[in-house]
Amino acid sequence: MRLVTRTLGWVIVLLWIVTLALPISVALSLMRLAEGKNLGVQEPTFNFFDGNISVNMPVYINNTGFYDISEPNVAIKIYKVKVNTTIVSLSKSLPSIPAGQMVNTSCSFTASLMEIFHKDRTLLTEDTNLNVNAQLSFKVAYTIAFNASLNFSTRWGAPFHNISCVLAYNDTTHVFSISISFNNHAFFPINGLLVVKLYNSDNIQIGETSIGLDVPSGGNFQETVEVAADPSKITDRGFIRLFFTELNILEMEWTLL
Amino acid sequence: MSDIEPKPDRRKLGFRVVRAFLFTAAYAVFWFIIWFLTYTFLASFPEYPQLFTTIACGLLFFTFAITLAEDTIYKYILKAIRAFFLIAYLTYATKGGILTLNLENIGFTVEFVPLLALMIVINLLDIARALLQAIEFAAQSPKD
Repeated sequence: MRLVTRTLGWVIVLLWIVTLALPISVALSLMRLAEGKNLGVQEPTFNFFDGNISVNMPVYINNTGFYDISEPNVAIKIYKVKVNTTIVSLSKSLPSIPAGQMVNTSCSFTASLMEIFHKDRTLLTEDTNLNVNAQLSFKVAYTIAFNASLNFSTRWGAPFHNISCVLAYNDTTHVFSISISFNNHAFFPINGLLVVKLYNSDNIQIGETSIGLDVPSGGNFQETVEVAADPSKITDRGFIRLFFTELNILEMEWTLL
Repeated sequence: MSDIEPKPDRRKLGFRVVRAFLFTAAYAVFWFIIWFLTYTFLASFPEYPQLFTTIACGLLFFTFAITLAEDTIYKYILKAIRAFFLIAYLTYATKGGILTLNLENIGFTVEFVPLLALMIVINLLDIARALLQAIEFAAQSPKD
Protein backbone atom coordinates (compact mmCIF):
# COMPACT_ATOMS: atom_id res chain seq x y z
CA MET A 1 0.00 0.00 0.00
CA ARG A 2 2.81 2.36 0.95
CA LEU A 3 4.54 1.73 -2.37
CA VAL A 4 1.34 2.51 -4.27
CA THR A 5 0.77 5.81 -2.43
CA ARG A 6 4.42 6.76 -2.91
CA THR A 7 4.24 5.99 -6.64
CA LEU A 8 1.01 7.94 -6.89
CA GLY A 9 2.74 10.86 -5.18
CA TRP A 10 5.55 10.84 -7.72
CA VAL A 11 3.09 10.57 -10.63
CA ILE A 12 1.16 13.55 -9.24
CA VAL A 13 4.34 15.63 -8.90
CA LEU A 14 5.42 14.75 -12.44
CA LEU A 15 2.03 15.57 -13.89
CA TRP A 16 1.94 18.92 -12.07
CA ILE A 17 5.37 19.77 -13.50
CA VAL A 18 4.19 18.93 -17.03
CA THR A 19 0.91 20.82 -16.55
CA LEU A 20 2.61 23.97 -15.31
CA ALA A 21 5.58 23.79 -17.69
CA LEU A 22 3.39 23.49 -20.80
CA PRO A 23 1.61 26.88 -20.62
CA ILE A 24 4.85 28.62 -19.60
CA SER A 25 6.76 27.13 -22.53
CA VAL A 26 3.86 27.91 -24.89
CA ALA A 27 3.93 31.55 -23.75
CA LEU A 28 7.71 31.68 -24.30
CA SER A 29 7.25 30.05 -27.71
CA LEU A 30 4.73 32.70 -28.75
CA MET A 31 6.99 35.47 -27.48
CA ARG A 32 9.82 34.12 -29.65
CA LEU A 33 7.47 33.98 -32.61
CA ALA A 34 6.28 37.54 -32.06
CA GLU A 35 9.75 39.08 -31.90
CA GLY A 36 11.66 40.15 -35.02
CA LYS A 37 10.18 39.67 -38.46
CA ASN A 38 8.84 36.18 -38.03
CA LEU A 39 5.34 37.14 -39.10
CA GLY A 40 4.50 39.19 -42.13
CA VAL A 41 1.55 40.18 -44.24
CA GLN A 42 2.11 41.61 -47.68
CA GLU A 43 -0.14 44.13 -49.37
CA PRO A 44 -3.47 42.56 -50.35
CA THR A 45 -4.62 42.56 -53.98
CA PHE A 46 -8.27 42.97 -54.95
CA ASN A 47 -9.75 41.43 -58.07
CA PHE A 48 -13.21 41.84 -59.51
CA PHE A 49 -14.22 39.22 -62.04
CA ASP A 50 -17.52 37.78 -63.21
CA GLY A 51 -19.54 39.24 -60.35
CA ASN A 52 -17.12 37.89 -57.74
CA ILE A 53 -14.76 39.88 -55.65
CA SER A 54 -11.57 38.23 -54.46
CA VAL A 55 -8.95 39.40 -52.00
CA ASN A 56 -5.53 37.80 -52.00
CA MET A 57 -3.11 38.47 -49.15
CA PRO A 58 0.33 36.80 -49.13
CA VAL A 59 1.43 35.75 -45.63
CA TYR A 60 4.69 34.32 -44.32
CA ILE A 61 5.27 32.79 -40.90
CA ASN A 62 8.65 31.72 -39.57
CA ASN A 63 7.86 29.47 -36.62
CA THR A 64 10.82 30.08 -34.31
CA GLY A 65 8.87 28.75 -31.33
CA PHE A 66 9.23 25.35 -29.65
CA TYR A 67 5.91 23.91 -30.78
CA ASP A 68 4.02 23.28 -34.02
CA ILE A 69 1.27 25.70 -34.88
CA SER A 70 -1.75 23.76 -36.06
CA GLU A 71 -5.21 24.54 -37.42
CA PRO A 72 -4.50 28.19 -38.28
CA ASN A 73 -7.65 29.83 -39.56
CA VAL A 74 -8.64 33.32 -40.65
CA ALA A 75 -12.30 34.29 -40.63
CA ILE A 76 -13.90 37.53 -41.71
CA LYS A 77 -17.49 38.52 -41.01
CA ILE A 78 -19.02 41.68 -42.39
CA TYR A 79 -22.30 42.92 -41.00
CA LYS A 80 -24.40 46.03 -41.13
CA VAL A 81 -24.15 48.29 -38.10
CA LYS A 82 -27.81 49.25 -37.74
CA VAL A 83 -29.65 46.00 -38.46
CA ASN A 84 -26.85 43.67 -37.30
CA THR A 85 -27.38 41.23 -40.17
CA THR A 86 -24.44 39.31 -41.56
CA ILE A 87 -23.76 40.33 -45.13
CA VAL A 88 -20.79 38.13 -45.82
CA SER A 89 -18.97 35.47 -43.85
CA LEU A 90 -15.63 34.17 -45.12
CA SER A 91 -13.23 31.64 -43.69
CA LYS A 92 -9.85 30.35 -44.80
CA SER A 93 -7.78 27.55 -43.27
CA LEU A 94 -4.02 27.88 -43.56
CA PRO A 95 -1.50 25.02 -43.54
CA SER A 96 0.04 23.92 -40.24
CA ILE A 97 3.45 25.37 -39.42
CA PRO A 98 5.90 22.89 -37.88
CA ALA A 99 8.35 24.21 -35.29
CA GLY A 100 11.52 25.65 -36.82
CA GLN A 101 10.06 25.96 -40.32
CA MET A 102 9.00 28.86 -42.47
CA VAL A 103 5.75 28.76 -44.39
CA ASN A 104 4.81 31.05 -47.25
CA THR A 105 1.14 30.98 -48.06
CA SER A 106 -1.60 33.24 -49.25
CA CYS A 107 -4.86 34.05 -47.64
CA SER A 108 -7.46 34.44 -50.36
CA PHE A 109 -11.17 35.08 -50.03
CA THR A 110 -13.81 35.15 -52.74
CA ALA A 111 -17.30 36.51 -52.31
CA SER A 112 -20.13 36.79 -54.78
CA LEU A 113 -21.38 40.35 -55.04
CA MET A 114 -24.75 39.06 -56.23
CA GLU A 115 -25.16 37.06 -53.02
CA ILE A 116 -24.21 40.12 -50.99
CA PHE A 117 -26.72 42.32 -52.81
CA HIS A 118 -29.42 39.65 -52.52
CA LYS A 119 -28.99 39.80 -48.75
CA ASP A 120 -29.24 43.58 -48.64
CA ARG A 121 -30.34 45.45 -51.74
CA THR A 122 -29.88 48.86 -50.16
CA LEU A 123 -26.13 48.28 -50.51
CA LEU A 124 -26.61 48.83 -54.26
CA THR A 125 -27.87 52.35 -53.91
CA GLU A 126 -26.98 53.64 -50.43
CA ASP A 127 -23.57 54.36 -48.91
CA THR A 128 -23.36 52.98 -45.40
CA ASN A 129 -21.07 51.94 -42.56
CA LEU A 130 -20.25 48.25 -42.30
CA ASN A 131 -18.77 46.45 -39.32
CA VAL A 132 -15.96 44.00 -39.94
CA ASN A 133 -14.98 41.24 -37.53
CA ALA A 134 -11.65 39.62 -38.40
CA GLN A 135 -10.55 36.57 -36.44
CA LEU A 136 -7.29 34.65 -36.33
CA SER A 137 -7.25 31.31 -34.52
CA PHE A 138 -4.59 28.63 -34.11
CA LYS A 139 -3.45 25.90 -31.78
CA VAL A 140 -0.03 25.64 -30.16
CA ALA A 141 1.34 22.23 -29.17
CA TYR A 142 -1.97 20.77 -30.41
CA THR A 143 -3.35 21.57 -26.96
CA ILE A 144 -3.82 25.27 -26.32
CA ALA A 145 -6.00 27.19 -28.75
CA PHE A 146 -5.69 30.93 -29.25
CA ASN A 147 -8.16 33.25 -30.88
CA ALA A 148 -7.68 36.95 -31.56
CA SER A 149 -10.51 39.00 -32.99
CA LEU A 150 -10.53 42.55 -34.22
CA ASN A 151 -13.63 44.68 -34.80
CA PHE A 152 -13.56 47.76 -36.96
CA SER A 153 -15.92 49.71 -39.10
CA THR A 154 -15.51 50.47 -42.79
CA ARG A 155 -17.32 52.69 -45.25
CA TRP A 156 -19.29 51.00 -48.01
CA GLY A 157 -19.65 52.94 -51.24
CA ALA A 158 -22.77 52.03 -53.23
CA PRO A 159 -22.18 51.15 -56.91
CA PHE A 160 -25.45 52.81 -57.98
CA HIS A 161 -25.42 55.71 -55.57
CA ASN A 162 -27.97 58.44 -56.17
CA ILE A 163 -29.57 56.56 -59.08
CA SER A 164 -32.36 58.45 -60.78
CA CYS A 165 -34.56 58.12 -63.86
CA VAL A 166 -36.31 60.88 -65.75
CA LEU A 167 -38.96 59.78 -68.27
CA ALA A 168 -40.28 61.57 -71.30
CA TYR A 169 -42.94 60.11 -73.58
CA ASN A 170 -43.48 60.82 -77.25
CA ASP A 171 -47.14 59.98 -77.97
CA THR A 172 -46.69 60.03 -81.76
CA THR A 173 -43.89 57.50 -81.90
CA HIS A 174 -44.88 55.77 -78.59
CA VAL A 175 -41.30 55.91 -77.43
CA PHE A 176 -40.19 56.57 -73.87
CA SER A 177 -36.95 58.49 -73.43
CA ILE A 178 -35.40 57.57 -70.10
CA SER A 179 -32.49 59.51 -68.71
CA ILE A 180 -30.55 57.42 -66.18
CA SER A 181 -27.82 58.72 -63.92
CA PHE A 182 -25.85 57.46 -60.94
CA ASN A 183 -22.43 57.64 -59.28
CA ASN A 184 -20.30 54.57 -58.73
CA HIS A 185 -19.05 54.98 -55.15
CA ALA A 186 -17.92 51.35 -54.97
CA PHE A 187 -14.24 50.37 -54.95
CA PHE A 188 -14.80 48.15 -58.01
CA PRO A 189 -15.88 49.00 -61.57
CA ILE A 190 -19.35 48.12 -62.84
CA ASN A 191 -19.46 46.01 -65.99
CA GLY A 192 -22.57 44.37 -67.37
CA LEU A 193 -26.01 44.94 -68.77
CA LEU A 194 -28.49 47.34 -67.26
CA VAL A 195 -31.99 46.23 -68.24
CA VAL A 196 -34.80 48.79 -68.28
CA LYS A 197 -38.35 47.43 -68.12
CA LEU A 198 -41.53 49.45 -68.37
CA TYR A 199 -44.84 48.27 -66.90
CA ASN A 200 -48.33 49.69 -67.08
CA SER A 201 -50.65 50.19 -64.09
CA ASP A 202 -51.77 46.53 -64.37
CA ASN A 203 -48.16 45.45 -63.95
CA ILE A 204 -47.98 44.21 -67.54
CA GLN A 205 -44.69 44.81 -69.32
CA ILE A 206 -45.03 47.33 -72.13
CA GLY A 207 -41.42 47.72 -73.21
CA GLU A 208 -37.83 46.74 -72.50
CA THR A 209 -34.32 47.75 -73.44
CA SER A 210 -30.81 47.20 -72.18
CA ILE A 211 -27.65 49.19 -72.02
CA GLY A 212 -24.07 48.08 -71.46
CA LEU A 213 -22.40 49.56 -68.41
CA ASP A 214 -18.71 50.20 -68.01
CA VAL A 215 -18.38 52.61 -65.13
CA PRO A 216 -15.04 52.80 -63.33
CA SER A 217 -14.79 53.11 -59.56
CA GLY A 218 -15.63 56.68 -58.58
CA GLY A 219 -17.08 57.43 -62.03
CA ASN A 220 -20.39 59.01 -62.95
CA PHE A 221 -22.91 57.59 -65.39
CA GLN A 222 -25.50 59.58 -67.31
CA GLU A 223 -27.20 58.34 -70.43
CA THR A 224 -30.55 58.41 -72.14
CA VAL A 225 -32.13 55.28 -73.50
CA GLU A 226 -35.24 54.90 -75.60
CA VAL A 227 -37.88 52.23 -75.09
CA ALA A 228 -40.47 51.56 -77.74
CA ALA A 229 -43.72 50.78 -75.95
CA ASP A 230 -46.67 48.72 -77.07
CA PRO A 231 -49.34 51.45 -77.58
CA SER A 232 -52.24 49.07 -76.91
CA LYS A 233 -50.99 48.45 -73.35
CA ILE A 234 -50.00 51.98 -72.36
CA THR A 235 -51.90 53.42 -69.42
CA ASP A 236 -51.74 56.84 -67.74
CA ARG A 237 -49.40 55.58 -65.09
CA GLY A 238 -47.09 52.65 -64.55
CA PHE A 239 -43.76 51.47 -63.21
CA ILE A 240 -40.19 51.45 -64.37
CA ARG A 241 -37.82 48.82 -63.07
CA LEU A 242 -34.06 48.75 -63.53
CA PHE A 243 -32.21 45.43 -63.32
CA PHE A 244 -28.51 44.77 -63.13
CA THR A 245 -27.66 41.07 -63.57
CA GLU A 246 -31.15 40.08 -62.44
CA LEU A 247 -31.04 42.33 -59.39
CA ASN A 248 -33.77 44.90 -59.15
CA ILE A 249 -31.88 48.05 -58.33
CA LEU A 250 -34.63 50.62 -58.83
CA GLU A 251 -38.41 50.66 -59.02
CA MET A 252 -40.32 53.89 -59.46
CA GLU A 253 -43.70 55.04 -60.66
CA TRP A 254 -44.25 57.12 -63.78
CA THR A 255 -47.22 59.19 -64.82
CA LEU A 256 -48.12 60.59 -68.20
CA LEU A 257 -48.94 64.27 -68.12
CA MET B 1 1.60 21.06 40.88
CA SER B 2 -0.37 19.17 38.30
CA ASP B 3 -2.97 21.98 38.14
CA ILE B 4 -0.37 24.67 37.38
CA GLU B 5 1.67 22.71 34.85
CA PRO B 6 0.01 22.30 31.44
CA LYS B 7 -1.09 18.79 30.56
CA PRO B 8 1.09 16.96 28.02
CA ASP B 9 -1.73 16.74 25.35
CA ARG B 10 -2.51 20.46 25.77
CA ARG B 11 1.15 21.26 25.30
CA LYS B 12 1.16 19.06 22.24
CA LEU B 13 -1.90 20.85 20.88
CA GLY B 14 -0.32 24.24 21.53
CA PHE B 15 2.82 23.11 19.75
CA ARG B 16 0.70 21.92 16.81
CA VAL B 17 -1.16 25.24 16.59
CA VAL B 18 2.09 27.20 16.63
CA ARG B 19 3.57 24.89 14.01
CA ALA B 20 0.43 25.25 11.84
CA PHE B 21 0.60 29.05 12.19
CA LEU B 22 4.27 29.08 11.18
CA PHE B 23 3.63 26.83 8.18
CA THR B 24 0.64 28.95 7.12
CA ALA B 25 2.65 32.16 7.54
CA ALA B 26 5.44 30.79 5.36
CA TYR B 27 2.89 29.73 2.76
CA ALA B 28 1.25 33.17 2.96
CA VAL B 29 4.60 34.79 2.11
CA PHE B 30 4.80 32.51 -0.93
CA TRP B 31 1.31 33.62 -2.09
CA PHE B 32 2.25 37.24 -1.44
CA ILE B 33 5.25 36.87 -3.78
CA ILE B 34 3.06 35.20 -6.41
CA TRP B 35 0.60 38.13 -6.14
CA PHE B 36 3.37 40.68 -6.72
CA LEU B 37 4.77 38.72 -9.65
CA THR B 38 1.46 38.19 -11.41
CA TYR B 39 -0.61 41.27 -10.62
CA THR B 40 1.02 43.55 -13.21
CA PHE B 41 0.52 40.97 -15.99
CA LEU B 42 -2.98 39.94 -15.06
CA ALA B 43 -4.36 43.34 -14.05
CA SER B 44 -6.38 43.36 -17.29
CA PHE B 45 -8.63 40.65 -15.87
CA PRO B 46 -11.05 42.51 -13.58
CA GLU B 47 -11.98 39.38 -11.64
CA TYR B 48 -8.34 38.38 -11.01
CA PRO B 49 -7.99 39.92 -7.48
CA GLN B 50 -11.13 38.13 -6.28
CA LEU B 51 -10.09 34.80 -7.82
CA PHE B 52 -6.60 35.11 -6.39
CA THR B 53 -7.95 35.89 -2.91
CA THR B 54 -10.23 32.83 -3.10
CA ILE B 55 -7.45 30.38 -4.04
CA ALA B 56 -4.91 31.92 -1.65
CA CYS B 57 -7.31 31.99 1.33
CA GLY B 58 -8.64 28.52 0.52
CA LEU B 59 -5.21 26.92 0.30
CA LEU B 60 -3.94 28.79 3.38
CA PHE B 61 -6.89 27.45 5.33
CA PHE B 62 -6.14 23.90 4.15
CA THR B 63 -2.44 24.31 4.97
CA PHE B 64 -3.34 25.37 8.50
CA ALA B 65 -5.94 22.61 8.95
CA ILE B 66 -3.77 19.84 7.47
CA THR B 67 -0.74 20.83 9.57
CA LEU B 68 -2.96 20.97 12.64
CA ALA B 69 -4.41 17.53 11.86
CA GLU B 70 -0.96 15.94 11.53
CA ASP B 71 -0.85 12.31 12.75
CA THR B 72 -4.62 11.99 12.59
CA ILE B 73 -6.90 10.53 9.93
CA TYR B 74 -8.42 14.01 9.40
CA LYS B 75 -5.23 15.04 7.64
CA TYR B 76 -6.06 12.72 4.73
CA ILE B 77 -9.72 13.66 4.69
CA LEU B 78 -8.72 17.33 4.52
CA LYS B 79 -6.30 16.53 1.68
CA ALA B 80 -9.12 14.90 -0.26
CA ILE B 81 -11.41 17.91 0.41
CA ARG B 82 -8.61 20.22 -0.74
CA ALA B 83 -8.37 18.31 -4.03
CA PHE B 84 -12.16 18.64 -4.50
CA PHE B 85 -11.89 22.35 -3.75
CA LEU B 86 -9.12 22.70 -6.38
CA ILE B 87 -11.21 20.87 -9.00
CA ALA B 88 -14.20 23.14 -8.36
CA TYR B 89 -12.05 26.27 -8.21
CA LEU B 90 -10.07 25.52 -11.39
CA THR B 91 -13.22 24.73 -13.35
CA TYR B 92 -14.96 27.90 -12.14
CA ALA B 93 -11.98 30.27 -12.34
CA THR B 94 -11.01 29.20 -15.86
CA LYS B 95 -14.66 29.10 -16.99
CA GLY B 96 -14.30 25.51 -18.11
CA GLY B 97 -10.89 26.10 -19.67
CA ILE B 98 -11.80 29.10 -21.82
CA LEU B 99 -10.43 32.49 -20.83
CA THR B 100 -11.54 35.62 -22.66
CA LEU B 101 -10.07 39.10 -22.52
CA ASN B 102 -11.82 41.96 -24.26
CA LEU B 103 -10.05 45.21 -24.87
CA GLU B 104 -11.59 48.07 -26.89
CA ASN B 105 -11.82 46.56 -30.37
CA ILE B 106 -9.70 43.51 -29.81
CA GLY B 107 -10.71 40.28 -28.13
CA PHE B 108 -8.45 37.42 -27.07
CA THR B 109 -9.55 33.91 -26.19
CA VAL B 110 -7.35 31.13 -24.85
CA GLU B 111 -8.83 27.66 -24.79
CA PHE B 112 -7.01 25.06 -22.71
CA VAL B 113 -9.65 22.43 -22.00
CA PRO B 114 -7.18 19.48 -22.33
CA LEU B 115 -4.90 21.14 -19.81
CA LEU B 116 -7.80 21.68 -17.40
CA ALA B 117 -8.80 18.04 -17.87
CA LEU B 118 -5.25 17.03 -16.94
CA MET B 119 -5.41 19.22 -13.80
CA ILE B 120 -8.70 17.56 -12.81
CA VAL B 121 -7.16 14.11 -13.35
CA ILE B 122 -4.20 15.09 -11.15
CA ASN B 123 -6.56 16.18 -8.38
CA LEU B 124 -8.58 12.97 -8.73
CA LEU B 125 -5.32 11.04 -8.34
CA ASP B 126 -4.62 13.16 -5.27
CA ILE B 127 -8.02 12.19 -3.82
CA ALA B 128 -7.29 8.52 -4.50
CA ARG B 129 -3.90 8.85 -2.82
CA ALA B 130 -5.39 10.60 0.22
CA LEU B 131 -8.02 7.86 0.57
CA LEU B 132 -5.37 5.12 0.31
CA GLN B 133 -3.28 6.91 2.93
CA ALA B 134 -6.33 7.22 5.18
CA ILE B 135 -7.03 3.48 4.83
CA GLU B 136 -3.39 2.70 5.56
CA PHE B 137 -3.43 5.01 8.57
CA ALA B 138 -6.63 3.45 9.92
CA ALA B 139 -5.28 -0.06 9.36
CA GLN B 140 -2.17 0.63 11.43
CA SER B 141 -2.39 -0.38 15.07
CA PRO B 142 -1.21 2.14 17.72
CA LYS B 143 1.82 -0.09 18.31
CA ASP B 144 2.86 0.21 14.66
